[in-house]
Amino acid sequence: MSLTEVAAAIAAKQFSSHEVTRACLHRIAQWQPHLNAFMAVEAEAALKAADEADAALAKGDSRGPLHGVPLAHKDMYYEAGKVVTCGSLIRRDFVATTTSTALQRLKDAGPVRLGSLQMAEFAYGPTGHNAHYGPVHNPFALDHITGGSSSGSGSAVAARLTFAALGSDTGGSVRMPAHFCGVTGLKTTYGRVSRAGAMPLSQSLDTVGPLAQTAEDCALLLSLMAGPDPEDPTASHAPVADYLAATKEPIKGLKIGVPTAFYVDDLDADVARILDQTIAILKREGAEIMQVELPDQRQLSAACQLLLAVEAAAFHKRWLIERPQDYSPQVLMRLQNGLAIPGVTYLETMRWRGPALAAHVAATSKVDAVLAPVAPMPAPTIAESDVGNSPGAEAVIQRLTRFTRPINYLGLPSLAVPAGFSKAGLPVAMQLIGRSFDEATILRIGAALQRATDFHQKLPTLA
Amino acid sequence: MTRPSAKEIKATVETAGVPVEAEVAERIANSIGPAFEGFAAISGTLPFDLEPASFSLAQTLGARK
Repeated sequence: MSLTEVAAAIAAKQFSSHEVTRACLHRIAQWQPHLNAFMAVEAEAALKAADEADAALAKGDSRGPLHGVPLAHKDMYYEAGKVVTCGSLIRRDFVATTTSTALQRLKDAGPVRLGSLQMAEFAYGPTGHNAHYGPVHNPFALDHITGGSSSGSGSAVAARLTFAALGSDTGGSVRMPAHFCGVTGLKTTYGRVSRAGAMPLSQSLDTVGPLAQTAEDCALLLSLMAGPDPEDPTASHAPVADYLAATKEPIKGLKIGVPTAFYVDDLDADVARILDQTIAILKREGAEIMQVELPDQRQLSAACQLLLAVEAAAFHKRWLIERPQDYSPQVLMRLQNGLAIPGVTYLETMRWRGPALAAHVAATSKVDAVLAPVAPMPAPTIAESDVGNSPGAEAVIQRLTRFTRPINYLGLPSLAVPAGFSKAGLPVAMQLIGRSFDEATILRIGAALQRATDFHQKLPTLA
Repeated sequence: MTRPSAKEIKATVETAGVPVEAEVAERIANSIGPAFEGFAAISGTLPFDLEPASFSLAQTLGARK
């Protein structure tokens, strides 16, 4: 059952919030020892909140579209009075004094908090490894990575421990866990959702986005979070569309571009097969598929890496001086990289963003969205992508992040949609890349794909 | 723009106020070298009047009407 379905069922009193919350807690008890997806489980408080939600509903008092729905989020969204570890040792005991705008807007819609979800240390890692709290495991194959940095969000949604979860995407951190774990993940346009009260990694690239079972679920969550915020001057005043309505629309006549290079190069056979299969489904649904020639994506990726490294190092500089021993070796190394990039180079990456986006817009002017794989491969194993212990790990990581970074640099929205399974049974997703602030179109295409397929409904099983 | 050497990295990092050992500078050079190379074709070519805020403008102009 998806987020929107369970929300409707609770509102119609087909299930109580207590029943649904208890079911989630039961699955958490079963799966958590295998997945390590949760940072903290708040079972007693969740059941109490569920009972309060049921009592309110009995009196005809619904708080909103998420009334009584159990949720958990990446442990980097500040909630006043709660410990927010950011996946780190440094913030192991940090108690937030404010609540993030995105989280508050969801809270205002009435969900039940199940706890908090694991993540890469300070959201600075693409695999799901965490030296302090252990790796998060992929529910479809426990010895494989979840992707990161929203590792707990991907794993917990895939195993149906929560109906949805907030992630964050700075270089691919929503889309990669969605791809590797077989769930739907929305990287929002830079500025679409306020970042106030969300742990920063890179102020020019950070975006807030949901992971859930369906595009419709993501549409609901985005509709609750999107819009300007006085606490975050970078949150855009661009009009907020009716995302849920968009998911009901057919895609007949929409034009979808498929890149002629880069995103179709060096793909594993499974990913290439699933890309072709997705194109065929979209054609059957009435979309027109066109080839698009994009500007050099390697330059965008390089610019993204330089920009991200500098901004992350700047955020962390005080702790790099005072507490370097409290970082894991891998994250310390990534942060040190940013110290070595000259200011002029950093500003060049910032100055080039406008022309780079304009060139992308021109190259895609004839299409409504672009279809591309999220990564050239399904999830590698935890062992082969462990930078500290595997000599080939850095090459694996470079390969798995190459299709996500360019989109962050351009600030574009992108929806990762489950699109099939590898021969070994690992999930594979495709990303639908939209125009700035046009999440509605990619959600519309994602929902159409999910009406035509059932990849998003496949449940992992515990051996 | 060329890939920086470990010696240059060490100097830049020291200027940033967080000095590192020579072997760390070597590791950083290897790690970020490819990004410098990837951006080399852009670096030093941008027009005089271009400022970072052009990104916001491009976002607005590129947004779906």
